[in-house]
Amino acid sequence: MTMRMILLLLVVVATPWVPARAEFDQQTIVFGQSAALTGPARELGIGMRLGLLAAFAEVNQEGGIHEYQLRLESLDDRYEPEAAIDNTRALIEQHKVFALIGAVGTPTSKSAQPVATEAGVPYIAPFTGAEFLRDAKMRPNVVNVRASYYQETEEMVVRLHEDLGINRISIFYQNDSFGQAGLNGLRRAVNRHGLNLIEEVYYTRNTEAVKIALLDLRRANAEAVVIVGAYKPAATMIRWARRLNFNPYFINISFIGSAALAKALGADGTGVYVTQVVPFPLDASLPIVAQYQKALKAIDGNSKPSFVSLEGYLAGRIAIEGLRLAGPAPTREHFLQALVRAGDIDLGGFHLRYGVNDNQGSDRVYLTRINKRGQFQSVETMSAP
Amino acid sequence: MNESPPPESPQDLTESSASERQAHPVATKDPKTEYNFRIGIGARLYFLLFGAVVLMGGATLLAYFTFNETLRHEIRLAEYSMPNLINSVDLARKSAIAVNGAFRLVSASSQEEHAAVVETMAQETVSLENSILELEARSAFGQQTQLIRSHLEELGKHLDVIKQSSARRLEIGQALHVFIDELGETTRRLERLLVQAIDDQAFYLISGLRQLDDKAHPIKKRASEDELTAYRNLITVNQSANLAVLLLDEVLVLADRQFLPPLEERFQSAVRHFIHAYAKLPDSMQHDLLEENLMRLDEIGQGPEGVIKLRQEALFRLEQEQDTLAKARTTSEALMSEVNNLVAHINEEAIQSSTASRAAAQTGILLLILLNVFGTVGAFVLGSLFVRRYLVRRLVRLASAMREMAKGDLEVPVQVEGADTAMPVKGSPDYLIRNIWYLIWNDEVTDMAKALEVFRRYAHEVQRLNLVEQLAKELDAKNENLENALENLKNAQDQVVAEQKLASLGQLTAGVAHEIKNPLNFVSNFAKVSIELADEIEELMKQQENLDLEEIRSILDELRISLGKVKEHGERADNIVRSMLEHSRSKEGEWRKTNLNALLKQYVVLSFHALRAEDYTFNAEMKEELDPNLEEIVVIPQDISRVFLNLATNAFQALSEKQKKTDGNYEPELSISSRQVGDHVEFSIRDNGTGIPEDIRHKIFEPFVTTKEPGKGTGLGLSLTSDILVRHGGSIQVDTEEGHYTEMRVLLPLEPPAEAVSSMENRTK
Repeated sequence: MTMRMILLLLVVVATPWVPARAEFDQQTIVFGQSAALTGPARELGIGMRLGLLAAFAEVNQEGGIHEYQLRLESLDDRYEPEAAIDNTRALIEQHKVFALIGAVGTPTSKSAQPVATEAGVPYIAPFTGAEFLRDAKMRPNVVNVRASYYQETEEMVVRLHEDLGINRISIFYQNDSFGQAGLNGLRRAVNRHGLNLIEEVYYTRNTEAVKIALLDLRRANAEAVVIVGAYKPAATMIRWARRLNFNPYFINISFIGSAALAKALGADGTGVYVTQVVPFPLDASLPIVAQYQKALKAIDGNSKPSFVSLEGYLAGRIAIEGLRLAGPAPTREHFLQALVRAGDIDLGGFHLRYGVNDNQGSDRVYLTRINKRGQFQSVETMSAP
Repeated sequence: MNESPPPESPQDLTESSASERQAHPVATKDPKTEYNFRIGIGARLYFLLFGAVVLMGGATLLAYFTFNETLRHEIRLAEYSMPNLINSVDLARKSAIAVNGAFRLVSASSQEEHAAVVETMAQETVSLENSILELEARSAFGQQTQLIRSHLEELGKHLDVIKQSSARRLEIGQALHVFIDELGETTRRLERLLVQAIDDQAFYLISGLRQLDDKAHPIKKRASEDELTAYRNLITVNQSANLAVLLLDEVLVLADRQFLPPLEERFQSAVRHFIHAYAKLPDSMQHDLLEENLMRLDEIGQGPEGVIKLRQEALFRLEQEQDTLAKARTTSEALMSEVNNLVAHINEEAIQSSTASRAAAQTGILLLILLNVFGTVGAFVLGSLFVRRYLVRRLVRLASAMREMAKGDLEVPVQVEGADTAMPVKGSPDYLIRNIWYLIWNDEVTDMAKALEVFRRYAHEVQRLNLVEQLAKELDAKNENLENALENLKNAQDQVVAEQKLASLGQLTAGVAHEIKNPLNFVSNFAKVSIELADEIEELMKQQENLDLEEIRSILDELRISLGKVKEHGERADNIVRSMLEHSRSKEGEWRKTNLNALLKQYVVLSFHALRAEDYTFNAEMKEELDPNLEEIVVIPQDISRVFLNLATNAFQALSEKQKKTDGNYEPELSISSRQVGDHVEFSIRDNGTGIPEDIRHKIFEPFVTTKEPGKGTGLGLSLTSDILVRHGGSIQVDTEEGHYTEMRVLLPLEPPAEAVSSMENRTK
């Protein structure tokens, strides 16, 4: 009898546990963006967001994709890796996004992408060419649009070496993972042409303490300076170089933020090269660019076409294409597989191709140069001023 | 009955039925005055019923007490032990929660969690107090609950200490977290400012340029002692600030409070350094943002509410909490041990109650079973002893005795147990036992048995008197019957004899026919001769001239002789026939003198021819040794002739039988003889035939005994022969050997028996 009583006392009331289902809204598919909307890199985040919004508005205007309306949820990470992690978690867990899209920067992507991969959420079109994101085996959820930094630096060296016969190439890079990525790519590219970098200088992120580095470059007598950094220190460095009558070829990597750079340089910008990974945004002869211009105008009549917002637009377009290919009841897995199996995707003259071990859609690198009027122009080759 | 004399009166009989009492004349006094105490059947039955009622009452009482006891234990279990057990287990659970509370407080990582734990513990403490109060109110666990209470109070004190300390510690943690963020920001700002300033100053030293628009300063100016010192101070500020930040980082992760003072000292040193260096910077390089951040770094580090102080307090509190926690753990162990004791104690009590309840129930069941068995066995024993053995058996015997009496059998005395017990005599050695015995058996059945015995004796007397009379009558009737039977028997005997005579006549027919045939042939032949003689005479007479009378005379003589022969043989035939008639006459023959030799021969011959008539192949040699001087003696000739005929017939049949069985070498031979032996004559008829088998030799004279085939003999022959000879005062003897011979010897007295004499005298008259 006593045993029975004790057993009775030991009965535990179990509370039923209902697991929360992480699924997107029935009518709306939400994409999440964690990018720098404030701070020095804000031009990039805002630009990407603008392009994405243009693409989504365009497709929503046409009735959505599979009758789903697309929505973009953007959170500001101020180009801080820690904030990118928090944002990514919030987007996945609270906003229940279908996919992450349009992240800006290498260090932020480096910290945010593992969060997305762990959650199995697609990580689409980060605004970076860092090589680690191109590892499709370890990061099956990443969908890159743009060519990699390696490809950009390769193009730079090819152009400098073949077009101008320059051998004394140096680098000015931001002392972080972004700069490091550019440095690695450039070293590789230079080495492939039997050369070495004659000088490697860096600057501290978020500062314009570039002048000592400039003196080092001048002392090394560099013929070309590849800049892997933000537009402000880059502009400062170039302007001081002009002041010191030190005029090597300055070639910037696409991340620089072309418009901001041209603006900051003013007259000192003439002849500065920037490699791009998207077509020239003013060249409406390409159908995709025409669509972009139209879509951009549709959401903001005052905004001017830019490389960044075009890249955002392309990111939105490839996301839409993936959804379209994934069928009427898209899941994240179907979305990713559809892109891998799609073969050549022609977005109005901009071609993308994914494969089993290839998560990078485009390999194209475009070369641009700031002319005397402080405007970008598309060029095929480099030439002496 | 036989051993006791016939009673004179019923009263007397009752008195005398017990032999003991006859042996003790004292006891023959009036029993009513002396033995007025008796336990009757009614009393006994009532006694039994009373016993059953008592037994049942006992069972009911037992059951009542058992159930009462069980109920008492159950109630105790339900109202006392179980609630106590529940309370104590609850107490244990709550104590565990209280104990855990300390650890949860120490390990709480946020203020919210801390507050929640504090809240929970406050509730549990109240609840715990209630549990103890309830337990105390219910029973006397004063000492144990007092101990628990004191442990709990001690634990509560520890918990309060931990609660307050950990609350403060979490507050500090919160503040430190804010500091960490701020420190990061400050550090980044300082880095940007200082790196920029150093870069600018270094560039200026080398290029002489400060602004893009400036003209370059000459080397003397730009490389002056002031500019170089400014550059050095900038570097010092940067280094010291970085060092201070690093030291603060170290402080933040430090776990051992002992190492805090040296870190603090180094931090103070670093702060002094960058403040000193900053102060020496030229005005152009001192600007508010830099100064502000440097001061902030100093304040974050060693302000009164700075990182170092807070960290120091946090570490101190953590140590304190760990100490208190250790104390709390000790107290908790004591508390849990005490609570466990209590639970064990109460559990033990509950088990005891439960066990006692079960034991009471089991005892009750056992007792009831025993009572039941005892009652059943008692009922069986009482039924067997009293009802079956004491009452029923005796009543059955009584009934049986009555039934026997009703049938008329009054010989057997009424035997019922106890009927022969008698009141013992005081003072006798086994007085007590006898008295008990008497009490047991002295009841109504005994009375009935005794009364029945008296009745039986009377009835038996009456019956005996009736029986003598009846026997006389029966005897007369039986005599009459016997006479009738005798008469019938005689008639039957005569009948048999007559039939036997006829039968023997039948046997003789062939022999008689043969005997008669001879004389008749003679008669016939002599008659023919006579007729021829007569014819000769007539012939002679026709010759008138020569009538030869002589011749005629001689012929007449011859005729006379011939006719004499006819007469002689006619008479002879007549004799034979007459003899046959006499033989077969049913009327008793007469006694007369008879030539027995002739009679013997005649019947032997007759018998021989009778057999030959049946079997012409049979032949036998006959020898005679008859005494010619034998006197004629007085017999009944028909009877004796029957004797001879029987004997001769038997002899010839034996011969014939043997002849048939054997081959031609056998020569049948019959010898007859007669002689006088003293006052008797003896006739012997001997044959060398089959003989008489040993096994029937002794009974050949009994009626219906025969060795012949069915139809050849009646079995009465020798029986009649014997009877006849007995009547004549004679006898018959047999000498035989099976397969060889038989000799029958008939003895007859010379003097006739008295019957013959009187018979002959009557006839003479």
